[in-house]
Amino acid sequence: MGIKEEAMWKMAEKMGMPKSAIEAIKAKQKQGGKTAMPDMGKMMSMMKAMKGDKQDEMRKMAERMGMPPQAVGMDGNELLGRLNRLSRVQTIKDVPQLTTALFPGTHCPLMGAAMIAGGIDDCLLVIVGTDECSYYTKSLTINERYGGIGGRCVSVVLDSHDVTFGSTESMHKAFAEIVEEYQPKCVMLVTTCVIEVIGDDYDAIAEELTRKYQLPVMAVHTEHFKCEDHFPGFERALTACQRIMQPQEGDGSVNVLGQRMGNFADTELHRLLAEAGVKIGVQLPSGCTTEEIRRAPAAKVNIVVHDIALPLAQAMQEQYGIPYVYFNRFAAPEKVLQAYQHLFNYLELPLPAEVDAMLAACKEQEEQLRPLVQGVPYIYGNTQYDCFELNSYLCSLGLVPQLIQSNHLREDNFADIQSILAHADPYICKAANIAPLQYVYDVLHPWFYMGHEFGDRLRAKGIALLHSDPAGKMLGFECSSFLLQAVAKAVSAAKKFREEAGL
Amino acid sequence: MSLVRFLPTPSDRMGIIWSLLAVQGAIVLEYGPAGTTHYSMGLYGGLGLRFQNRLFTTHMSEDDVVMGDVTRLEEALVELDKNYAPKVIFVVASSVTAVIGTDIKGVCRYMQNEVKAKLVAFEQGGFRGDYSVGLAETYKLLVRNLPQKGVAQEKGVYNIIGASAWRYRMASDIWEVKSLLSEALGLSCNACLCCDTSVEELQAMGKAQVNIVLGNEGLAAAQYLEEKFGTPYVYAAPYGYSGTVRFLESVGEAIGEMPQPLVLMRLRMKEKGMSMLSMFAMMGGGKTKQAVVKGDYDLVQGVSAFLEQAGISVVHKICAHSLKAIAEPAADVESYAEEGEWLQLIRGLHATLIFADDVALTQADASNMKVLISAPFMNGVVATHLPFMGEKGADFLLEQIQGYYQK
Repeated sequence: MGIKEEAMWKMAEKMGMPKSAIEAIKAKQKQGGKTAMPDMGKMMSMMKAMKGDKQDEMRKMAERMGMPPQAVGMDGNELLGRLNRLSRVQTIKDVPQLTTALFPGTHCPLMGAAMIAGGIDDCLLVIVGTDECSYYTKSLTINERYGGIGGRCVSVVLDSHDVTFGSTESMHKAFAEIVEEYQPKCVMLVTTCVIEVIGDDYDAIAEELTRKYQLPVMAVHTEHFKCEDHFPGFERALTACQRIMQPQEGDGSVNVLGQRMGNFADTELHRLLAEAGVKIGVQLPSGCTTEEIRRAPAAKVNIVVHDIALPLAQAMQEQYGIPYVYFNRFAAPEKVLQAYQHLFNYLELPLPAEVDAMLAACKEQEEQLRPLVQGVPYIYGNTQYDCFELNSYLCSLGLVPQLIQSNHLREDNFADIQSILAHADPYICKAANIAPLQYVYDVLHPWFYMGHEFGDRLRAKGIALLHSDPAGKMLGFECSSFLLQAVAKAVSAAKKFREEAGL
Repeated sequence: MSLVRFLPTPSDRMGIIWSLLAVQGAIVLEYGPAGTTHYSMGLYGGLGLRFQNRLFTTHMSEDDVVMGDVTRLEEALVELDKNYAPKVIFVVASSVTAVIGTDIKGVCRYMQNEVKAKLVAFEQGGFRGDYSVGLAETYKLLVRNLPQKGVAQEKGVYNIIGASAWRYRMASDIWEVKSLLSEALGLSCNACLCCDTSVEELQAMGKAQVNIVLGNEGLAAAQYLEEKFGTPYVYAAPYGYSGTVRFLESVGEAIGEMPQPLVLMRLRMKEKGMSMLSMFAMMGGGKTKQAVVKGDYDLVQGVSAFLEQAGISVVHKICAHSLKAIAEPAADVESYAEEGEWLQLIRGLHATLIFADDVALTQADASNMKVLISAPFMNGVVATHLPFMGEKGADFLLEQIQGYYQK
């Protein structure tokens, strides 16, 4: 009998299962009978119902069996007491963490930069940092996209000598080997926290290497202590691509900037552009080459499909005079309509007739949903949409946000924030800290949770899960339509789950 | 600083965290940027470690870095102590806090008055060496901080020191060692540093009759326990049949017991059976049979000795980590500071039996016979009952050797 099984029996005994019954089952097992082990889920529920010392003892036993430690001292009301209301927030510094100790915490901007490099087929990713940063990034890139284990992610690992005396000389030496072995078309030189702390000037180093080897070397800074999550990594890596670009004759094309997931060719936006005969230029970073990026200034318009590409689009507008259209994954159909209008205006083409029909279909969906969602409370975690635009839209439909989690807050979010505040004043905190959220659910009892969570765990508390990952591959009214369907589905599931949970 | 094409050797800090995560009843709190913690979950999950509600990060802001503000750390300690009531909180520095020189030990010292959990600080931020240095430091700090005085010694109990979760199939090896010691000497294991153990077991380390050191990094910790508790230790990693016999005899000697003769006889019979390999060698037409072993120090030494016993010349014994933390390393064990050096060596091998990690094996050409025996490994599922150590491990190794002879 394994240690875990033995512990399970001990636990069953502590919970009041008669010893004679345990012995009888064990004897039956010995003779080849079917196992009659107590059910783990039931034991957990019984354990939670116990009080005082007995509960403490059971908790220890559960941990021995590999179950995660329970937060015995966490209180949902106390957690909420630490948070700000949305109405009191002016900058991201006013947005607190739900707890100081985080798990799992946010992703690193280094990961963001690595993912952008992954989308540029012939870009060599060079991490300049500790063994640890390099190890995790290399592990992330051991896949086909980066060329497998021997693929286009390498690192120049810092040691204590570099920390004390600087890394410039060693970097030059390592780069000579890189050029000889990999003959890259372009290099993304990604620096991590320690480089920024010791102050080595990698912008200057990248300049020198560019001149010396006559290839674009882009320094991308990804120190995590200066930002909240991985999005600055996306943004800086994309913006750095401007260094590859060279002036071109205009060819009337559109570039698609900021699409990380899915294939642009599968989107509604692509279909309408194709039907209008518009040439698609570079799709950065969803599968392009250095040469395509070099030719990007030939475009007539840049379509920015995510905030991460805004600085690049603004820089291209300044340097090459290319206008851009902000065409995010909008929740509100009116915003989608506006984006289409701007885009086709810039292209000097008539708005496709189909646009009106798609808008009308979304409005009809809205009207069907509206009576079902009046006053329905939810918690916002993270989605493929813009946080405040989406919440503002859901408020306009009659839903009520109880808690919004966001790691970003920009000046231009305040129009949407005001619109949310006209309906509700939710709590606000930073994202990526799901462990303490469990205790907040017990206080707020939302109908659904938008974001990444464990569905079964939520269901046990009468909460439905709404995750919007498929929308990451969409652009246009299809995003609004998907959201409306997902909300309808979540509300319907919530009714059932709440009943199951006795709410 | 040099070019690394594949996976770098894990740092001291990584070795510390994967060891501490094996201690149930404790919480690991990283004082540093959150991204590193989130990023690390893939590695630790792959090593079979459980981190839900056991691994936390404070995150850090620019203000914390510039001003040296430790409020987040203080608050996180109070919060974890209250919310999870752990017996111990291990506070681990990050590369950033190590570079800016945050006094984590000092913070733990004054915060100890504010919390019930015992606070143990690890100030290594990844710059004091590779994981072998981190392992040695972890074992030392654990035995200095956790074992309780006045615990009566118990007959038939032992501790294991030097079992690193990083080693490929370490859980299998521990299972085999425990089975053998139970069968041959009727012994049972208390604490296992650091592979699936608990704070309670670490606190009760003093009850052991003997400490068994499976990895050189554990020697200093064992010596400390001998000094403090008078517990003798045996340093032996049981690879091969004769290696396993010697291991059992050494442990028996330390506790004044003879291993079960039947077990020893079984192992010796198997060892004798290895003579059939000479027949394969003859059939091979006198071609040179050679091997290369790459992995942790004790694995390299143990497996190489078994290969040589089987008539195979081990032309390179490559230690995957530095020899800095190894007490009196053998002269023929190589350690390379730069990846390029061992890569060149592995890429130049032909018709060789290679026991190594997944990265090295991908770099060797197809004329070689390749066996995965060390980390890093790419497979998501790792067997827990297919050891390299002990009798079953020797059975497996022998199969590979025979396969190589017949190739």
